[in-house]
Amino acid sequence: MNARQKFVSSVRALLAFLLTAIIVTGGSTAAVAADYVPISGAGSSWSANALDQWRRNVKQYGMSVNYASTGSVDGRNQFKGGTVDFGVSETPYGLKDNGVVDELPTRPFVYIPIVAGGTAFMYNLTSGGNRITNLRLSGDVVTKMFTGVITKWNDAAIAADNPGITLPDRAVVPVVRSDGSGSTAQFTLWMATKYTSLWNNYCNAVGRNECGQTSFYPTKSGMVAQPGSQGVSGYVAQKANEGTITYVEYSYALKTNFPVAKILNDANYYVEPTASNVAVGLLGAKINQNKNSSMYLTQELGGVYNSKDARAYPLSSYSYIIVPTTEQASFTAAKGGTLAAFSNYFLCEGQQQAEVLGYSPLPVNLVKVGLEQVSKIPGADTSKINIAKCNNPTFSASGENTLAKNAPMPDACDKKGVEQCTAGTGGATGTTSGGTTTGTTITGTTGGTTGTGTTGGGVMGGTMGTGPTTCDVDTGVCSNVKAIPVATTSNGWAATNWIILSVIIVLVLIVVVPPVVVTYAARKVR
Amino acid sequence: MLTDTPRKLTIIRDGSDKVFRGVIRAGGSVVLIIMVLVGSFLGYRAAQALNMAGWSFFTEQAWEPDAGKFGIAAVIVGTILIATVAIIVALPLSLGTALFITEYAPRQLRSFLVSIVDLMAAIPSVVFGLWGFFFLQQAIVPVSRWISQYFGWIPGLGVTGVDPTDPLATTTVYTSSTFIAGIVVGIMVTPIVTSIMREVFSQTPVGEREGALALGATRWAMIRNVVLPFGQGGIIGGTMLGLGRALGETIAVYMIISPVFVIQPNILQNGASSVAALIALRYGESTEMGLSALMAAGLALFTMTLIVNFGASIVVARSRSGAAS
Repeated sequence: MNARQKFVSSVRALLAFLLTAIIVTGGSTAAVAADYVPISGAGSSWSANALDQWRRNVKQYGMSVNYASTGSVDGRNQFKGGTVDFGVSETPYGLKDNGVVDELPTRPFVYIPIVAGGTAFMYNLTSGGNRITNLRLSGDVVTKMFTGVITKWNDAAIAADNPGITLPDRAVVPVVRSDGSGSTAQFTLWMATKYTSLWNNYCNAVGRNECGQTSFYPTKSGMVAQPGSQGVSGYVAQKANEGTITYVEYSYALKTNFPVAKILNDANYYVEPTASNVAVGLLGAKINQNKNSSMYLTQELGGVYNSKDARAYPLSSYSYIIVPTTEQASFTAAKGGTLAAFSNYFLCEGQQQAEVLGYSPLPVNLVKVGLEQVSKIPGADTSKINIAKCNNPTFSASGENTLAKNAPMPDACDKKGVEQCTAGTGGATGTTSGGTTTGTTITGTTGGTTGTGTTGGGVMGGTMGTGPTTCDVDTGVCSNVKAIPVATTSNGWAATNWIILSVIIVLVLIVVVPPVVVTYAARKVR
Repeated sequence: MLTDTPRKLTIIRDGSDKVFRGVIRAGGSVVLIIMVLVGSFLGYRAAQALNMAGWSFFTEQAWEPDAGKFGIAAVIVGTILIATVAIIVALPLSLGTALFITEYAPRQLRSFLVSIVDLMAAIPSVVFGLWGFFFLQQAIVPVSRWISQYFGWIPGLGVTGVDPTDPLATTTVYTSSTFIAGIVVGIMVTPIVTSIMREVFSQTPVGEREGALALGATRWAMIRNVVLPFGQGGIIGGTMLGLGRALGETIAVYMIISPVFVIQPNILQNGASSVAALIALRYGESTEMGLSALMAAGLALFTMTLIVNFGASIVVARSRSGAAS
């Protein structure tokens, strides 16, 4: 009895404690949340990984930010139509695409850069059963792959970029975006600027007369089109889809644990779109400084493409948020306050996470002008904006971009013409392609002494067993000739086909015949 | 000579009757009015595009509204192909499920199975899409490859641009196809088709069932001679309803297919198209003309779905339940 009473009272005390805890915490969050109202945005999937992280982070302050990564074109259109409070896009309004000029919205707005990043080339390729993780490509080869000029991975042009890899005789399957996309716009602008004739020839061949920069990739047969960055990266990351390559922000490769191609820059080095390489690349970007222009703060990337710095990643660019500067219809001062606080967060604190996510933090000059733009949002609380507290890794006392200044020089093995590095790239770090090590360490040996089991040749020999192993004198790659599972039947109608067909016919007959016979017999009796 | 004249009937309805009739009539007419409004809205918004395209709207395959070159030939054919695959998957699956639930399953299991099937109908379309894209696609590609290798000679099952004897041949040509989208949509419409069939089968008169069994019929013979003829209307009606839903399925198809704007008759090959997926893909990023063209495509889909559903109701009405038995 006594024990029971004790139990009951302790339960009561616990309940009371929990209740007060709930009331207290609930009350306190409600008090914070009262300052903020939910806001919603749509647009770029290129920068969606960063935005999603920031959205989760500001939840603790009671901010509720909804974001739909439906593509830059959709983001711009939704902002124009007034259905969202902010849009996110890699490209500004006012560009001509496929013969149509994207009109400016009637509501007043400004662009604010949100984050930098590199449009990476994520691929799925194996050789001798091992994933290739150290592919290198030069710009014209990339362009040729995405315009149907190069159709096989063992093309001489790709092999010239990759002296250390034995490339398989597989078809190149470019995976492009099916929706209107800022990634497509960035990629096509680069191709149209640097490889004008290749790109224009392709465009004309597939029936698009007006080429140049476009948000809608013109496809031809053999290509695969998927919606959103999640769609293209998810497609390439499917194990069976070997031979695929796509253009997508670097963070998606990190997320899916897939490698990206190192791209040749104008200093003849193959570089990966790491945060520091993107920061170096963007030193060449020209930012529109005319405050009266409708394009204020937008980017001009010609200098990035042609940067002579050995560390510069050529497909680096900024992504922009489009915010309204007046109260209008559903956009109230309360919403403006939340949007300004969110913008203040990602321009400042949020940038610290950019590198981990696969982006590159903004330099101090852009954060400074960005914060100036933030104060133009109606309802913005300018007292909370303080650039000194940002702790951004690019900031320095002298105003130089620390990240770019301290960026490591590329390895000697990343230079053009030199046998390539074996380290992995993108999300496939730490793994070294077996095929590559075979190629670099054992040249010209015969008899299959590859042995160690970690190399491509060793795995082949170990699993396939009996046949004679031969090693190519030139590449050093060993293969077990007899054991390669090649279908031996010709293309025509062979015996196996007859067997399969007859099995199916017999199966159908087993199902169909008895009822028919029974019905017939029953009728006869009657 | 006396002639019989029919007695005049006067119906006196009391208040509650009148209210009931009024409510029912209002409900019925509201449905019709909404349908007409949807149709006329689509027609009004589509007028600009239809005027520009003229009759070529029905024959043109490309979809470039801003260049003035657009038509629904490819997307409508794609929609029909996906819906056909879906029905081929869904019909046997739901017929079997419905028969098992009503005739074979133990009584205790029955209500559990019914709620499982109904629960399946409640799964959001996007979940089916994710499942199809990330899981089913990889699993189904070898099947597609096998079918095209051995039955590629049948028109529609072939795949171009790949050599099946080459072990390094890319398997991407088998992905994002009409076939995969059709299977996913088929699985999506199965629950609704199943529940309609099950409902009709369970209404088979007990007397007729018992009569058949008393005459010595096995359970299967009873099903064939009593349940199936009785439920014919339900089978056709359920299938047609499923077809209507399959024609309009959007997000799952949008996530799986790789859109192409040429007629793609090879169902196993990469590249498919559907009106609903096209609208989902393009509505947010269209110009005024593009939007009008999408409305026109929507109108075509709307009309087609109406025809299918009216066809279904005519078929169901003709074969009144139980009429054939």
